[in-house]
Amino acid sequence: MTAAILAGVLVAGGVYLVLQRGLIRMAFGVILLGHAANVVLLAAGGLYRREAALIDQIAAVQAAADPLPQAFVLTAIVITFGVTVYLVALAGSGSGDDTEETT
Amino acid sequence: MVLVTVFIGLAATTAVAPLLASRLGRAAGWPLAAAFAALTALTATQAPAVLAGQAVEFSWAWIPSIDAAFRLRLDGLGLLFTVLVLGIGALIMAYCARYFDAKSSQSRFYTLMGIFAVAMLGLVLADDLLLLFVFWELTSICSFFLIGGAGDKAVEPARRALVVTAGGGLALLAAVALLSVQTGTTQLSTILADPGWTEGWTGPLVAVLVIIAAITKSGQVPFHFWLPGAMAASTPVSAYLHAAAMVKAGIYLLMRFSPVFHDMPLWNGVLVLVGLATAIYGAALALKQTDLKSLAAMSTVSQLGYLVAIIGVGTSYALAAAAVHTLAHALFKASLFMMVGVVDNQTGTRDLHRLGGLRRLMPASAVITALAALSAAGVPPLLGFYSKEKMFAGFVDADGPVWAGPLLGLLAVVAAVLTFGYCARFWFGVFGGPLSERTDVREAPAPFLLAPAITGAAGALLGVGVVTLAPFAERITADTGFPGAGVEIHLIPGLSVDLGMSVVAIALGILLHLRREQAGALLDRVRTPFTGDGVFDRAMAGFVAAGSRAGGLTRTFSPAAHLPPAIVLLGVLSAAALWWGTPVGPLQELLVRPTDWIVVGCVAVAVLAAVVVRTRISAVVLLGVVGALMGLWFLLLGAVDVALTQLVVEVLTVVVLVLVLRRLPSRFHSTGTLRRSLAAVLAVGAGALAAGGTLLLTNRRELSEVSRWLMANSKEETGGINVVNTILVDFRALDTLGEVTVVGLAALGILALLRTTSLTGSAAIELTGGTRPEDDPVDNTIVVRTVGRIMAPAIVLLSLYMLFRGHNAHGGGFIGALVAGAGLCLAHAAAPDPRRSLVRRIPYVPVIAGGLALAVVTGLLGYLVGGGFLTPFPIELGFTYISSAVVFDVGVYLIVVGAVVAALHRLAIAELLEDDAAPPGAASRPADDTQYPMVAVGSGGRDSEEGEL
Repeated sequence: MTAAILAGVLVAGGVYLVLQRGLIRMAFGVILLGHAANVVLLAAGGLYRREAALIDQIAAVQAAADPLPQAFVLTAIVITFGVTVYLVALAGSGSGDDTEETT
Repeated sequence: MVLVTVFIGLAATTAVAPLLASRLGRAAGWPLAAAFAALTALTATQAPAVLAGQAVEFSWAWIPSIDAAFRLRLDGLGLLFTVLVLGIGALIMAYCARYFDAKSSQSRFYTLMGIFAVAMLGLVLADDLLLLFVFWELTSICSFFLIGGAGDKAVEPARRALVVTAGGGLALLAAVALLSVQTGTTQLSTILADPGWTEGWTGPLVAVLVIIAAITKSGQVPFHFWLPGAMAASTPVSAYLHAAAMVKAGIYLLMRFSPVFHDMPLWNGVLVLVGLATAIYGAALALKQTDLKSLAAMSTVSQLGYLVAIIGVGTSYALAAAAVHTLAHALFKASLFMMVGVVDNQTGTRDLHRLGGLRRLMPASAVITALAALSAAGVPPLLGFYSKEKMFAGFVDADGPVWAGPLLGLLAVVAAVLTFGYCARFWFGVFGGPLSERTDVREAPAPFLLAPAITGAAGALLGVGVVTLAPFAERITADTGFPGAGVEIHLIPGLSVDLGMSVVAIALGILLHLRREQAGALLDRVRTPFTGDGVFDRAMAGFVAAGSRAGGLTRTFSPAAHLPPAIVLLGVLSAAALWWGTPVGPLQELLVRPTDWIVVGCVAVAVLAAVVVRTRISAVVLLGVVGALMGLWFLLLGAVDVALTQLVVEVLTVVVLVLVLRRLPSRFHSTGTLRRSLAAVLAVGAGALAAGGTLLLTNRRELSEVSRWLMANSKEETGGINVVNTILVDFRALDTLGEVTVVGLAALGILALLRTTSLTGSAAIELTGGTRPEDDPVDNTIVVRTVGRIMAPAIVLLSLYMLFRGHNAHGGGFIGALVAGAGLCLAHAAAPDPRRSLVRRIPYVPVIAGGLALAVVTGLLGYLVGGGFLTPFPIELGFTYISSAVVFDVGVYLIVVGAVVAALHRLAIAELLEDDAAPPGAASRPADDTQYPMVAVGSGGRDSEEGEL
């Protein structure tokens, strides 16, 4: 339930921002959509097992959170960072809605 | 084995052609001709086996999954065309050695001719449909480049030729696809040997597709117009591609498919109709031409029409005639074209109005041309006479209604009369009559005349020795669907209908030549309301305009305009999936803690605020809040590594955003109410669907089997107990390698981007220049500097600890690198001047490249220990050992650190350095690819980063 609401809020915010003027706000929207995707991925692994997946330190395998989506999300975060940096560099160069003062 | 030797030999010859041409210039034609001739002789050694019915075959697996192979097969039909391709090719190469200017470089020409020869050889030898298609298109492409190489005026003709022939190639591709799907193989000989697939609709459909491919390639009405246009190319190209070889590819294809189609009325009807129409139309147009080369081109169109029609007749007699005439036409038409080039070179013109009477000045040329022209006109005892007579007989004996034979015979005679007329016009126009204005013309040198003399003599010798062709014609007839059918060829023809037709054709031809003035006037009165070129150009322009209109519907510079359709479509799809119900598992026991709700509530408030704020800096702060809350959420879920990554990335994101945003206006643009409302509606809809989908589709399963296996085996397999990290660097290391490559490329992308365009505004911040401590760039960083001096090295050390402990505890390359990045950001912020920042001294490109190299090399070492790429192995260190996966993780660490440094460097430091390097007083510098075009900053050029933070 919480994951669903979280994903819904993030998607709504992200979609709203990517539809605005200017690459910067689109980049912000992409960041929020990235968060939403990560929430969905982790939710897919199941939210009722919440122990860190460290062998030897968990009580039972059944209690451990699913490590596979975690690995996916971890790399996804780093890639989103790379893409965000590229997008803002793009927004900061050239000219247009992002770089001109509001008239 | 001989087949593949010939093929590789030709390819090797082509490979050395540019070398030869750059050394020898035009004379490269001689060694190339020798090579072609040797390959022809090598192929000829297979003739006895082929004649005995033993096709020579070669096969080498290419795409085994669809049973496509590099299959070559030499049967009688293949032998005829191979000898044409290589033999005529040798003569053309010899001709080229004298045709071009002595000084010109012909490397491009010889290379393209060589590639064409390879493609053509492959085409006629291919026993695999895919191979056939590839070579078919390759010949079209070579033709395009060879025509287009002739200069500006050749651009349009080259384009027309390519579009028509490659378009026909698409029909062949469709036929190939249909055949391979229907028969389950791509082996041509198997498909033709078992015509079961011709039942039903496949047969006629494939027949039509093959006909389209053939008649576009062979310049038949209504696609004939590209061939005269192609005469813009140099004469050797016209002689080889557009007379002897490439345009014969269509003839070859039709003959190749004759065994399965020769008794299909559709096949017979279309080919005979198209062929005879082309034969008569082409011959009539040839009579009108005043340019020698255009005359020869229309003659080719007409002769190819003859061949298409006789193949369409589809009897054993007709196919034997087609085989003999293919040979005869290749010989006399190559001669004629080469003589056009000779006349052009010696006199400087190809215009019939300005030529004439050259028989005394160029006697040898006159004889050679006469041999070719008489053969084309069908005068005994030249080869053209026998082949044409065979064709007459084929037309008259055509199957079908009683009137068919006589009608076809009549039309064939009409075409033959016109042919005689234009052949006479060719010879008499150049060599006959009174001498024109030019009197200083000299005979061409012997080496120049060698090649056309050989083709002309061959036409004569084979005419006298025509009976020797009988076994070959018999073999080809067998290969084209009539095994066992005898072919009789007599040197002295008996009294028969076809002899009568020949006599009539020659007599009327002489009459036509004598009355050429009247005939010409009559032809001039016939005007077609449109030309093929015109129709083609209009159709082409129409296509382009339609494409432009279709593209115009979505062409916009605003990225936001592209998104709503995609979002709506996604919404419709997911709504449909929800409506029709995807089967979902039972909901697992829910575990919702009160803390979850706190996070969700805070995120909702922060997102709402981030959406409505008007200043950019507040949006950045709110995004940072959302990111931090996400980290907290991940922590609550037990995803400790993910949470660490998220938190550090959040810090780095804010740093990078501030570096860029400080250059930009502080407020967002306002958007209209309508746009905001539409965006809000879409956003709420998308959010609702996302929430619904997540609710329905997640949290409904046990731990997946893969995860259970990973949990159970991670320790034994890799020695690491942090399962997330072992997945990243052991089990799915290849994925990780791909992902860090993306990160590295994003960093390099920023470098490339900022090398060609500059960032807006300036990295420098003007302070007010007051006397208070916060106005001084050194004083106002006192807090950060003091903290940074201690913390930055500590954080970098911490990052190494995080890196190396990753296999057994929370951490790893990604997290370590991001922590190091945060430390470097702090060090950068602590420097009073970015130019003195520590970050400046880190060579980020080598770091990224080195990291990638380390990761790849570690992966390759996996092969040495007997595993595959990226198989982990233990590395002894004396006192302990580490897994090679940790070394791989070091590579990951270096790439990500390099990327962070690259971003800092490019966004905050680089332009200041270049600014310093600029000569004093220079307001701006020319932009090149290593420097920024930027305006020098003002005198207050010292800056401080944290003035904004």
